[in-house]
Amino acid sequence: MPASSILTSVRTPLKTAIQGVAANTYDSVPEAPIVPFAAIVPNVPYLQPSFLGKGNVKLKVNLVMTVGVAMYDNQSALDNWEKLVISILAAIPSGYEVGDVSNPIPLNIGASEILAGEIQLATYYTQTN
Amino acid sequence: MATTVITGRDLAMTIATKNYDEQATSATLSADVTIETYNTLYSKAYKSIDSQWTFDVEMLADWGAADSLCEALWTAAESAPNTALAVSLTAVTGAVFAFNVLPVFPSVGGASPDAQTVSMSFTVVGTPTETFS
Repeated sequence: MPASSILTSVRTPLKTAIQGVAANTYDSVPEAPIVPFAAIVPNVPYLQPSFLGKGNVKLKVNLVMTVGVAMYDNQSALDNWEKLVISILAAIPSGYEVGDVSNPIPLNIGASEILAGEIQLATYYTQTN
Repeated sequence: MATTVITGRDLAMTIATKNYDEQATSATLSADVTIETYNTLYSKAYKSIDSQWTFDVEMLADWGAADSLCEALWTAAESAPNTALAVSLTAVTGAVFAFNVLPVFPSVGGASPDAQTVSMSFTVVGTPTETFS
């Protein structure tokens, strides 16, 4: 049996769950995301030990999902971003705490400008082997 | 003497022989000791007359899971409320406390969007037995 990991047990299942609504999904920091996209990356604090015992490593995992859309014009970009966030919120599977959604702000990635905001997420992870 | 530090990571807890460390975030065994005070002609006198122990547990709710503690406690509180459950609480290797508690109904639900949690306060039957080694 392969060792469990946060990637395979937490981030990838989340990425898989939202693949149907976000055109491009990433379970780590992408070098050059292609819009529209959703990228699942660590939040601060990232890993919080919060359970009894030392038998298995048990952690609260804090994540942030960065959601970005193309910045064609303000009105349509914001509308597209809101629709994408709503559809992602509906697709997040059980077992994940859904927190606040930040305001979207324009970002420059390479030569292109995008509108991006963040969804706060958290879940719990136990190292099983 | 060197400073000794033990933490919640040193704790281990079993209820009815099953280990629930992976769900529990806090476990505390404490005593409420009743001490009578007598005003004598000479001075005050104190007498410990009773102690009631309590076991407080906070954990993530595990309804629906295999070997669910919430479901086991609910069933026990419903079907056998006066039958004590054996508990073992290890503060750290070499300091183990064994005692019995009466089952209580776990709370159900919680606030959105956080993980559902359960806080339970068990009445301990009798006095814990300690093993120091």
